[in-house]
Amino acid sequence: MRVIVVLGHVLDPRGIAVNRRAGRVFINRREYILQPADRCALEAALRIKDEMPAEVVVLPRSPLPDDDVLRQALATGADRAVYLAGDGLAAADDAAMARLLAAAVERLGGADLILTGATTLDTGQGQLGLRLAEALGWPHVADAWALKTSDDRLEVVRQEGAGYAVLEAALPVMVTVAPGALEPRYPDGARLINIYRGQGEVAAALETWDAADLVDADALQPLLERRGQEFPPERERGVRASGGLEEMARSAADALRRQVRV
Amino acid sequence: MDFHFSSEHVALRRMIREFAENEVEPLAAEIDREGRVPFETLKKLGQIGLMGVCFPQEYGGMGAGEMGYCILMEELGRVCTSTATNVGAHIGIGAMSIYLDGTEEQKRKYLTPLARGEKVGAFVLTEADAGSDAAAIRTRAVREGDSWIIDGTKTFNTNGSFAEIVTVLAVTDPTLGARGGITAFIVESDMPGFQVGTHENKMGIRGSSTAELIFEEVRVPQENVLGKVGEGFVSFMKTLDMGRLTLGAACLGGAQAALEWSVRWARTRCQFGAELAHKQEVQWMIANMATEVEALRSLVYRVAWMVDTAQPFTQLAAMCKMYGSEVASRAIDTALQIHGGLGFTRDFPIERAFRDARIAEIFEGTNEVQRIVIASNIFREHGVRIRP
Repeated sequence: MRVIVVLGHVLDPRGIAVNRRAGRVFINRREYILQPADRCALEAALRIKDEMPAEVVVLPRSPLPDDDVLRQALATGADRAVYLAGDGLAAADDAAMARLLAAAVERLGGADLILTGATTLDTGQGQLGLRLAEALGWPHVADAWALKTSDDRLEVVRQEGAGYAVLEAALPVMVTVAPGALEPRYPDGARLINIYRGQGEVAAALETWDAADLVDADALQPLLERRGQEFPPERERGVRASGGLEEMARSAADALRRQVRV
Repeated sequence: MDFHFSSEHVALRRMIREFAENEVEPLAAEIDREGRVPFETLKKLGQIGLMGVCFPQEYGGMGAGEMGYCILMEELGRVCTSTATNVGAHIGIGAMSIYLDGTEEQKRKYLTPLARGEKVGAFVLTEADAGSDAAAIRTRAVREGDSWIIDGTKTFNTNGSFAEIVTVLAVTDPTLGARGGITAFIVESDMPGFQVGTHENKMGIRGSSTAELIFEEVRVPQENVLGKVGEGFVSFMKTLDMGRLTLGAACLGGAQAALEWSVRWARTRCQFGAELAHKQEVQWMIANMATEVEALRSLVYRVAWMVDTAQPFTQLAAMCKMYGSEVASRAIDTALQIHGGLGFTRDFPIERAFRDARIAEIFEGTNEVQRIVIASNIFREHGVRIRP
């Protein structure tokens, strides 16, 4: 069984300070972490590998400045990683990446299951999984909380309304994993040191492909145009209720009626 | 000159910080209150390779060098001094003594399970009448055929109550003293005659165990002599040099935490209509604290680099330990002052840090001993051999 995990990076939010009054985001430490939902997708893949013979291959979800997140994934237990580089790649959006990744999946010789995060922490994008499924002509399940695989089928638990639904799909299938769905494991120390030093077996597991060898330049043209960025409107402050229990409940109910029109 | 951490050490710190904040910090208050060793944490540390962070991979280690080990101790010291103490006693002196002076076979047999975190180590030196004067030990080892018989009582042994592999210092020739008369041995806790005595009820680092160990005619085979017969004292001092550096790294973590708490508090706590951050007296406290923390950080990682590049570092390791413990104590004391009455309560981690920090000025050689080491190194360069 081959499981492909598509993952990306995000600036560590702890190294960022937001100053609304100055209208600026200050980057104190430029450190990147794995996208949390992608990390859950990787964990889901590794749990499949814990259960049955499987090869876990990782690919980048967006143009990456370096292969750091791929190394992290290899240190955590992925078997193989492909870094995608190339001149035309820098501006690629999810639409362009989906075309590129579909070609990369072909080049890898296909897969039984592709996993990625359902959303990203920074831009809140959730399109990549859908678009990749579309490009491959595969079925797609969004927002998985748990996965169970057998040889040719997949069972997915996803949140629906106030409860959970269990869906079944035939392989191959594309699944996006909800952020926080699974508790991700830690990397293995020695593997981590080896992959960063480029020594040992694991070092050979990381390769670089040129995007130009996979798709032509047109395919990398983005659909999105970035025109600028601004802060979302300030959130309104809530109302603090005071007094006795009954009084507080009444004022809460009044506020709900007035503002939300319950 | 290059002051960057390598990419592997950046990645290692990211992994360790996440582990420290998710697995170690949530237990810190509880293990202090209950006075229990967090065995579950030690096991998890072993599973991801951190119990052998600095040792070569051929002996089950991670291979991250002394630099990686200092990163581990800084990050553990930042969230839980007790856990840092357990890990430091295991890696930094217990396993380290075997790594530095063990034979190939001893490393395979003893260092490997220690580095993998399958067994816990301890380093057994202090006695009731031999603290700072470490050469005054009375524990005896007498040769009998192919073995040695060890007799004596050791005090203040971190991890002693549960360690499975301990390195012990004993007198093998009373006529020779420290030079030639003292030998180091590797002892397994299931060897007959090995007993755990009383446990210390301590002011701080209550999530670590400090116990008395009694050796009652413990028979140790000749192949368990660590290093050469008669050279145990020098061997143990060499191990302590490493321990002093990494204790300095743990103190760096403690001081860093105190700084972070202080900044967070100063930007939220309002008095006289403004946050403490706008009060000059608090600004000066924080500026002083931050400067000392940065000076210590530079010292610690420079010495780690010296160890990894095989340069002499004894004098600087003593500085790491002495300066580190004093910077941590000062930073935590200042943090308490900034937090006021709330800092004195058990609702904040500062009172625990305050109790925990004090021991760092005492163990691994008191700060007075460190000053002797530093001064004697300085005078030796000028042809003066200072007398004890």
